Amino acid sequence: METMSPLERILRGIALTLVVIFFMFPIVWIFLMSFQTNETILRIPPSVIFTPTLDNYAALITGKLTTAAGTLDIAFMRNLGNSVFLSVASVALALVLGVPAAYAFARHKFRGSEDIAFTLLSFRFAPPLLVLLPLTQYFQWLGLSNTYFGLIWVYQLICLPLILWIVRGYFEDISADVEYAYRIAGHSWFSTFRKIALPLAGPGIAAAGLLAFIFAWNNFVFALVLASADKQPVTVGALAFVTASGIQYGQIAAAIVLSITPTLALALYAQRYLVEGLSLGAVKG
Amino acid sequence: MTTLQLKNIVKRYKSQTVLDDLSLEVADGERLVLFGPSGSGKTVLLRLIAGVIDPDEGRVLIGGEDMTAVDAEHRGVGMAFQNFALFPHMSASDNIASALTSRKSSKEAIAGGVQKVAKLLKIDHVLSHHPKALSNGQKQRTALARALVGSPPLLLLDDPLRNVDAKLRFEMRLELPRLLAAQGATVIYVTQDYKEAMALGDRIAVMAEGRIRQIGTPAEIYNSPADIEIARLFGDPTINLLDVVPQRGPDGAFVELSGVRVRLPGFGAEIVGKECVLGLRPETIAFTEASTLGAVPVTVEAETPLNEKTVTLALTARGREILVSRPAGTPGPTAGPAHIAVNGRAAFLFDRASGQRIRPSEVTSKRNGEAA
Amino acid sequence: MASVTQPGARTGGFRISKRVLPYVLSLPALLVCIGILIPFFTAVIYSFQRYRLSQPWARQFNWGENYLNFFTDPGFWNTLRISLVYAGVTVGLELLLGLGIALLLQRRTTVNNFISIMLLLPLMTAPALAALMWKLMTNPGFGILSYFASLVGLENFRWASSPDTALLTVVLVDIWVYTPFIMILLLAGLRSLPTQPFEAAALDGVPRTFVFFRITLPMLTPYILTATLFRLLDSIQQFDIIYAMTQGGPGDTLTVFQVEAYLNFFQSTNVGRSAALLIILWAITYILSNVFIKNWLRLRERARGEA
Repeated sequence: METMSPLERILRGIALTLVVIFFMFPIVWIFLMSFQTNETILRIPPSVIFTPTLDNYAALITGKLTTAAGTLDIAFMRNLGNSVFLSVASVALALVLGVPAAYAFARHKFRGSEDIAFTLLSFRFAPPLLVLLPLTQYFQWLGLSNTYFGLIWVYQLICLPLILWIVRGYFEDISADVEYAYRIAGHSWFSTFRKIALPLAGPGIAAAGLLAFIFAWNNFVFALVLASADKQPVTVGALAFVTASGIQYGQIAAAIVLSITPTLALALYAQRYLVEGLSLGAVKG
Repeated sequence: MTTLQLKNIVKRYKSQTVLDDLSLEVADGERLVLFGPSGSGKTVLLRLIAGVIDPDEGRVLIGGEDMTAVDAEHRGVGMAFQNFALFPHMSASDNIASALTSRKSSKEAIAGGVQKVAKLLKIDHVLSHHPKALSNGQKQRTALARALVGSPPLLLLDDPLRNVDAKLRFEMRLELPRLLAAQGATVIYVTQDYKEAMALGDRIAVMAEGRIRQIGTPAEIYNSPADIEIARLFGDPTINLLDVVPQRGPDGAFVELSGVRVRLPGFGAEIVGKECVLGLRPETIAFTEASTLGAVPVTVEAETPLNEKTVTLALTARGREILVSRPAGTPGPTAGPAHIAVNGRAAFLFDRASGQRIRPSEVTSKRNGEAA
Repeated sequence: MASVTQPGARTGGFRISKRVLPYVLSLPALLVCIGILIPFFTAVIYSFQRYRLSQPWARQFNWGENYLNFFTDPGFWNTLRISLVYAGVTVGLELLLGLGIALLLQRRTTVNNFISIMLLLPLMTAPALAALMWKLMTNPGFGILSYFASLVGLENFRWASSPDTALLTVVLVDIWVYTPFIMILLLAGLRSLPTQPFEAAALDGVPRTFVFFRITLPMLTPYILTATLFRLLDSIQQFDIIYAMTQGGPGDTLTVFQVEAYLNFFQSTNVGRSAALLIILWAITYILSNVFIKNWLRLRERARGEA
């Protein structure tokens, strides 16, 4: 490796510091804000010195927002619950549907398999509203409007292509001979799938599931179009909350912190697989 | 033990024909070696017999029963893979046991079977290890144990010694025949190593471009190759191949080496003036005195020891290279001018255009026919 | 092909033919997706209709009228312009920044690896929530960024609420969220490059700008292309950040395709125009995605080869 001059070292250090500040500051700042009362938030000039309070979180968790005008019910915990339920159920369904399909695409080059795989992939890149707007009407006819079932189905638009393409890559990485060996040893295709393919692709399937969870959690537009308040996840709920709570900035910040924590924690946990997952296997991390 | 019959097997991948109307019969208890360069279709053929690949045309009969449409798990064959294909998430013992668990035999029976075969292959001390913790040789023995443990009547071995080091390969080459004989199975053995083929096969089928070029006992293949390619593939050092145009002599056809006539007994007028390739096995050539009748003068260029042989590179007067091999330790010239004796009876003659062997007997019989 | 079928115990019982099996395995996934394809075709039909939710009785086919109207519709040209500007500016800036950061982090040191992991966090924040975070920080009353702006002499800097700076603000949020995407792809690309050319160049004392433009950049091009196309596809469809931040405002400052289509559908209830807008956006993304997929496949093939 080339050696760096002291000047270069310093310049690189400064550049990296600026990068870290730019990308980390909003998260840190909102985090700090969530432990402040409105008075300390509204101070000019702003200061990082304050007495932390858990009132904001308490208000969110109890669902009682006390303002000057009186007490206001907030459904934020419900949104959080919706987010958890919608994301978990969507990923579970996508795994059940997507993993066998990914296996079929990886192992059997059947007629039309590539076309089908690409059609599924193209969902990832089509404008979601194109499908969502007509879907609002179909859902009304089918009685699926504002149901978890309908939402979970539509969430497959995000989860399914992701799982299909990532898991397919992991299945392709398993040597076909290993599966052949198990078949020849006297086992059916199904027990080969269960005992050989699934365990060997396990880490990849888990990573794809985590990534799909993050994307489902972060989705905004599907629920905005298709769900009413009682079914909305945090992304939509937080926006409504901002409008409803007006100037309760501390609580807004706390709501944001609660909303982004799960995905950030998962991302840190699965960071090893993120690069490969985000590029659908085009780049090895 | 069982028989295997392949009838007119065709396998294509996209536009490429990998197996081209291939038929083959293997007798009960026979050890057949499939020998050929990579890409000749050996591995595909083996997989097709195992049932993990389907042929586009043709039939596979095992023990006389049509197995073409039968899934791999019901064919009752055992197979060892070149890359071992061990299950990385299972211990060696579970790997081996996998060939028994499908038959729903009792736990004790399975454990007993695994123990027995592991002892036979000397891997009983590493049975609890996962493949990652096994040495290459142990992996290979585990793969072999997995193929053997169910005592399948038909055993398919796909170049099992390919990925182990030279020392192990040598040991296994000695050990395998005994092991396979003890199994009593019919064996199809794929290899790219001609020595392995000669050592292990009752018969050898030489494959190239999806067809069987020649099938016969090791001695037949070596002593009577069907074409140049087969002659070249078998033998170390490689056979000497010299472009020649036979001429007519008083007592049959001859070719000239360093201006000296080498008679080709059994060949007649048919080959005179024809573009041919003369094949001389290095061990059929010997150094001799200048005074010997028909001694060909050469210049000795270099000498190399090769295992139990000494190989000498000599040049003819026209600068053509000839390899001469003799048992190590026997005397011979190391440099400078020398003479060799070429045994025309042991020489092969090939058609230069087609590469096909021209057999003396055919020519002889033809000539006899003319005379009659 | 199994030309001869063998009946009997071994082939009997529960057994799915080898040829049918893959279809059986992928069928459930396909069915779910077909359910989603139907609305797509419905949208195509809507786009050829005069269809307003407020006047359902007047619904009829008007064929290409929705599209023809676009030619004389300043609102459409505004949408097209702002969408292209948004996509171009965000992706261009993110590419420059992402490449710069990737180069800074190229060496595998503990600090660099730690920073690159930390930079994943903005990317994993829901864009709609990220917009809210920035909304809090740019609040004219107490926003920390408004305070910083006033420190450098920009009193009453109104960020997203002013037509002059609304684009700048949402672009800033987009950069905050998505630069890490380009950065991690390029970083993975950089780290996967063979080292020999660089060692040879260092030994020969080749100037570093030369090395960068003649060795690094060409070798990194497939990664840059993939990352850029990926982002362009997303950015031209941006909805979350803009809608959460300004709902397309102030006025029609930020009415990019999807925001405009959403507002058309739900506010002006003009379904026909909304659908036509989305079909045009779809056509753009379709072309882009074809270029992208070709590129991505090649890179994927290579990544699998190395694995």
